[in-house]
Amino acid sequence: MSFDTAAINGNDKPERKCYDRTKSDDLQISRTDMNMLIMNYLVTEGFKEAALKFQQEAGLQEPALCSSLDERIMIREAVQNGRISDAIAMVNALHPELLDNDRYLYFHLQQLQLLELIRAGRAEEALAFASATLAEAGANDRNALTELERSLALLAFPDPHASPFADLLLPSHSQKIASELNAAILKMENQEYTNPKLCSLLRMILWSQSELDKHNVKYPKMTDLANATIEQPK
Amino acid sequence: MQHLTIFMDIESSRSYIDELYSSDVTKVLEALITLKNSVIGSNRQKSSVIQQGIVPRLLQLMSEQNWDPNIRLEATITIGSLAKGTSENVNALVEQGAAVALVEILKEVPIGTKLAEASLCALRSIFLNPPAPISALPAEMRLLSRLTQITREGSPTARACVVRILSIWCGGPIEQEALCAAGACNAIAALLAPKGTTPPPIARALPALDLLAAMCFENANVSQVALNTRYGDKTIPELLTLLVSRDKPLPVAMGAARCITFIHRAGALPADDSRVVFGALPCLARLCTKDMPEDIRATAAETLAYLAEVDTSLQRLAAISNHLMSSLADIVNCPSAAAKQGAFKCFASLGANDEDIRKRIIETHGLMVHVVNGMNNPEPSVRLAAVRCLHSLSRSVQQLRTTFQDHSVWRPLMQLLSESPGTELLTVGSSTLCNLLLEFSPAKEPMLDQGAVEMLCNLTKRPEAALRLNGIWALMNMAFQAEQKVKQRILCCLGTEQMFRLLGDSDTRVIMKTLGLLRNLLSTRQHIDAIMNEFSSQVMQAVIVVLEGSYPAEVKEQALCILGNIGDGEKAKDFIMANEDVLRKLVDYLAHPESKLQEAALFVAGNLVWKGEAGCAARQARLAELGVLRALKLLRQRPDAAHLHDKVKTALAQFNELT
Repeated sequence: MSFDTAAINGNDKPERKCYDRTKSDDLQISRTDMNMLIMNYLVTEGFKEAALKFQQEAGLQEPALCSSLDERIMIREAVQNGRISDAIAMVNALHPELLDNDRYLYFHLQQLQLLELIRAGRAEEALAFASATLAEAGANDRNALTELERSLALLAFPDPHASPFADLLLPSHSQKIASELNAAILKMENQEYTNPKLCSLLRMILWSQSELDKHNVKYPKMTDLANATIEQPK
Repeated sequence: MQHLTIFMDIESSRSYIDELYSSDVTKVLEALITLKNSVIGSNRQKSSVIQQGIVPRLLQLMSEQNWDPNIRLEATITIGSLAKGTSENVNALVEQGAAVALVEILKEVPIGTKLAEASLCALRSIFLNPPAPISALPAEMRLLSRLTQITREGSPTARACVVRILSIWCGGPIEQEALCAAGACNAIAALLAPKGTTPPPIARALPALDLLAAMCFENANVSQVALNTRYGDKTIPELLTLLVSRDKPLPVAMGAARCITFIHRAGALPADDSRVVFGALPCLARLCTKDMPEDIRATAAETLAYLAEVDTSLQRLAAISNHLMSSLADIVNCPSAAAKQGAFKCFASLGANDEDIRKRIIETHGLMVHVVNGMNNPEPSVRLAAVRCLHSLSRSVQQLRTTFQDHSVWRPLMQLLSESPGTELLTVGSSTLCNLLLEFSPAKEPMLDQGAVEMLCNLTKRPEAALRLNGIWALMNMAFQAEQKVKQRILCCLGTEQMFRLLGDSDTRVIMKTLGLLRNLLSTRQHIDAIMNEFSSQVMQAVIVVLEGSYPAEVKEQALCILGNIGDGEKAKDFIMANEDVLRKLVDYLAHPESKLQEAALFVAGNLVWKGEAGCAARQARLAELGVLRALKLLRQRPDAAHLHDKVKTALAQFNELT
């Protein structure tokens, strides 16, 4: 990764004075910093075209794309389009040790494959597939077993999409697994940083707020991350 | 039904397995990739492939230098995936020669190729499964130089693999020296060095620290090389000191402190070196505290035990570091066996030399209860560590009389020793027993009832010198100021034959303790006469054996002291007087150049000539006739025996009628 961590470190010592978050205009945040964070998000998450477009429009330097960016994009596409065996084959070609080391991740990919069969209404194949491959992971890992049971429960409903477990069939589920896989690949490659830095920043806000809550401090609290809504203390 | 490649059972898909044996390169490659994708992630598939006997073909494809490089690569990756299966899978691979084949590839392919990296990954997976196939990797300089070259120039993955493999491989002096000669210390220094202000990433540092520790363990030479190896402007100990600080990840700090510990114990860093005192020791004490994860605490306690094992100043320093005592007492309560044994070992080290520390250890949170429980733990390593701890604490006379008694520690100890324990447990346990038998204790009786004498006598028959020594030593302690029936029992149980065997032991310490036992048996007049009455010929023979044999002076001294004790008996004196050989020897020893032998002989003579006892005149006459009187007079004139003059005078005074 080409971006250093200075952006998130917040090396400045916290000042003793208490300031209001709504009028924090005196704290300068440079445009370049913002652009870098967004670029980091796009590159890490594998949005290559968006990253190149953004580079043009914002007038940034050529982003340092990871060597595996193209592969990661293809793998993400394959996962999100339900071509799981293709995705697995690509991962194995890129990092042969990855899915052997992280069996839970491998289970998640196979689970997606099972869900594809269920979505297509191929119940018998789904059962055969589950007993041939997923049962092994289920036997070794309690979490996997629970998730496997939830997936197979979909078969009990005439319309799986209307069942309590319908969330598994939503695109957001495969997106989540795709991100998990993406992070695992990145970790394999540079062995340290795998999440977009924006993500860490937001986590840090949540962590600071929970620390403040623990000590019953009154402060303007961010209650909605997506819209950056801040509520004043009551 | 649609074709579902990913979950094809190996059994139901012979067709592509068959294609592995095809002569068509494209078909073979396709089959290999299918096979690879089916085994990655599934132990069931791996087992199935191995059972079907495909491994030899894979090894062949992997090793064939003239084949398509992609085929070699995919075959190697597949072997690598099989090596991530169950322990049985890996053992099967090793049996079929996979490790050797992978090493062959490493000898031949250029560094930096994908094939080299894949074989390193596979070899690492194989080595991570104990027992690692150490012999597959010979200590050849060319190969090792090549591997250390990879640790300097290879990709991060290749480096991490090589270092991990070597850290497991390096298990003895031959490997240590070979790696050192191949330049491994330089490579390690480079891996541990920070880049600017950024510390080395954990995945790079950890295997390097393990390798360094494996190389320095009990090896003075390699440790000395490590001490002087530099990267940039820093030596290895300086690099390690950077890594033990609080801001470093816990496993890295742990590994670095362990390396400093090993370098110190190998003799390359003195105990007062700042990197030991202010680097390793405080770091280990910190890693033992309550906030740390259990596995880290376990390793830290065990490492600290090794660090402080022999040096009293380090023991004292550790005992006052960072609430270490209460941290350790808390670790004893952790569920894992590793944690318990680490804490016991650490307590054993801390209390090895210093009475105050022992006292504090025992006062710490009811430790004795834990030690007793530890001796009953189902895990052998915990039992051993608990006995070690007890052994260390048993050096305290005060504790022997109080806490040890209150908790009847002898009970679980005797229990352990009577259950056919391993040699190590037996050695430490019998050493502890020696200490427990030192003092008069109410436990002596019940210990006798539990067969202590028989057990100790059996120990003296063991092939291990340390066990014979402990056995005879404990018997000696047991006989000290013991009742006559105990003494009789010891003599009967040990048997004269065994006693003579022990007097011929290859270990002088065993002989010394055997004679010590005889001395303790033959003390107080009443016991002397009773025992001599029954065993006179054997005892006299034992003494003669020693006096005539080629033994060191201190052994002969013991034998003379036994004679002296016999000479103190009432009727027992006659056994000496009746033996002209012994009396002539007495004359010789009075003129012996070794001062302590003169003194011992004088002790014997003094007891024999003591007037006012029945038959003393006859004894004096006989001794004078044999030259004892003359020898005493000569002794009085010797300037080098000035310190004995008073005793000589007293002895001569007994001969008043003859002088």
